Amino acid sequence: MAEINGCELPEELYYLLDKHVWARPMDGGVIRVGITSVAAKLSGGSLAAVTVSARKLGKEVPQGKSVATLESSKYVGPVPSPITGTLLHGNDALVGDPNLAVTDPYGEGWVADLQVEAFDPAGLVTGEEGIAAYREFLESEGVSCD
Amino acid sequence: MEDQVLIIMTSGPETPRRCATPFFFAHLAAAMEYEVTMFFTIDGILLLKEGVAETVVPKEGGRAVAGFMQDAQEAGVKFVACTAATELHDIDEGDLIDGVKMVGGAAMWQLAENSSTVLTF
Repeated sequence: MAEINGCELPEELYYLLDKHVWARPMDGGVIRVGITSVAAKLSGGSLAAVTVSARKLGKEVPQGKSVATLESSKYVGPVPSPITGTLLHGNDALVGDPNLAVTDPYGEGWVADLQVEAFDPAGLVTGEEGIAAYREFLESEGVSCD
Repeated sequence: MEDQVLIIMTSGPETPRRCATPFFFAHLAAAMEYEVTMFFTIDGILLLKEGVAETVVPKEGGRAVAGFMQDAQEAGVKFVACTAATELHDIDEGDLIDGVKMVGGAAMWQLAENSSTVLTF
């Protein structure tokens, strides 16, 4: 796990940098997506709801378009999809505890699963190079999780 | 159209507690990628007057309505002002905040007809 300005970022995930979301290829062409610890910080750190877009279920969501929304009393924002894929389902655990997306963003707090024919990492960064690019982006934006 | 929603805002500075939620909902709808228009009429138009929304605070010690409005506008929510309501309150177009389009009442009907959902506050 890499750490940048106090933000934890696993090296093995694929990131859509400026949107602060990650993708994790699973079995069978399923791509799991979620928010990064940076997004969790930017959202204020305490979510009242994470709502997966019901009208997009079963439909193709282009990269960068919203699959869900985050909300708290002080924050509203989309969860842009890091990849283009068909929205399969959201994470039911977030219905009971939306704050899992903040406390465990890479584990129990994942947001949604999408289906793809083949994983295409176009536009995403990963590994050591990806973390370096993320570091550069966070520093240019002056973002810190501390 | 499936992705278009309309929020008709009639509440104004006399009822501060009715003035934040409509913008919060509009902001959320924009985050959900709906195309959102807010139509300001009756007392709602007063919130568009330069400097007014900064003075309207729904909760003691909390944010002014201007902040909620700015969030909504930045998320892409369009603000349109009813010309009849500006006449009701003797407001000139030049008194309004930036980014507001003046439209007649018939535009409200067209917006409503084109929207999948219409909310009124």
